[in-house]
Amino acid sequence: MKFAKFLAVPMVIGFMTLPLTAMAHTPLFSCFDNADGTIYCEGGFSDGSTAAGVPVIVKNGKGEEIQRLVLSRTSDVEFEKPKGNYSVTFDGGEGHSIEIPGSQIFE
Amino acid sequence: MKKGFILAGLITLFSAASALAHFQMIYTPQSALETGGELNLKLVFTHPFDADHTMDMEPVQEFYVIHQRGEEGEARKTDLKEFLHEISWKSLGNEGKAYEAKIPSRVMRSMGDYVFVLVPSPYLEGDDEYIQQYTKMIMNVGGVPGNWHEPVGLPVEIVPLDKPYANWTGGVFRGVVMANGEPVPHAQLEIEYLNHEPDMRRNAFKKRPGIKAPHPAFEAMGIRANANGEFTIGLPKAGWWGIAVPDLIETEYNDIDMVKEAVLWIQVTDIK
Repeated sequence: MKFAKFLAVPMVIGFMTLPLTAMAHTPLFSCFDNADGTIYCEGGFSDGSTAAGVPVIVKNGKGEEIQRLVLSRTSDVEFEKPKGNYSVTFDGGEGHSIEIPGSQIFE
Repeated sequence: MKKGFILAGLITLFSAASALAHFQMIYTPQSALETGGELNLKLVFTHPFDADHTMDMEPVQEFYVIHQRGEEGEARKTDLKEFLHEISWKSLGNEGKAYEAKIPSRVMRSMGDYVFVLVPSPYLEGDDEYIQQYTKMIMNVGGVPGNWHEPVGLPVEIVPLDKPYANWTGGVFRGVVMANGEPVPHAQLEIEYLNHEPDMRRNAFKKRPGIKAPHPAFEAMGIRANANGEFTIGLPKAGWWGIAVPDLIETEYNDIDMVKEAVLWIQVTDIK
């Protein structure tokens, strides 16, 4: 029990600190058309910290979610290019999301 | 009287010549890019402040880029020699053999830092000394930093302590002079402003200078590093600044004395 209390205090401080730290830097996101029917996207932050594990959401022209992916250990992801209009969103949390319309994704 | 004029002329010539420093350039107009893509680089061996003379470059020994996205990203080295081709570069006073590199978008596509490294062939200065300048120029795509502050592992190099591609006019730039992997205490540096904008299409320096130096000491500015090999320079004007460290390692090449020197290019941007 004492051990649990001992752990709880630093854990709470840790959870409080994490979002603050995350807010201190800018999210960055970029996508390319691989010209082979696939799209490549990569993310990162302005302080160089990793974006591994950040969700990436692919939506159709109506804004409906058609795929939910996660950035890999190397902060990137590849997926099949959707037919028609689409967009890709880097979902880094409130104030840290970036949406790229498919019309702005080039080879 | 006539002899006096000739002597005065020779002294003036010598003084002017002594103020000029050789700088191996790796030039592109913009080092901080929003998005990646094709890139055109010019490799020119010249005196960047007065742009009067370009030295002939021989085929380069090494030319590569090390790309890294994020502090924890993997550094990837790409050989760029296949993209080089010879050009003639027009200075204000002559033309010299230089190189152009057309880097395809597949090399410069991702976000992150791109550390370009050039090891030129040694240049024979006069008859009795070779100079070899290990040159770095660092670019960024998209704002995600990577390996800009990492040593490349060259025999001689300047390791940045500030991002070479993100400097405001009026700020400072800091770095460390290294030789054989160790800082060089009290290293002597030369700093020159790229005073004549390169014309990428014509392969030439533009005639109009950016600034006028009131004295030769302002053309190639000499400073010294501290006891830890660290230095700080002020950045009074937007554009490209070359930092060179002459005579870092003395060795031999083709039975002739050779000095290995380090060069780093940084870009300065106005606050608007």
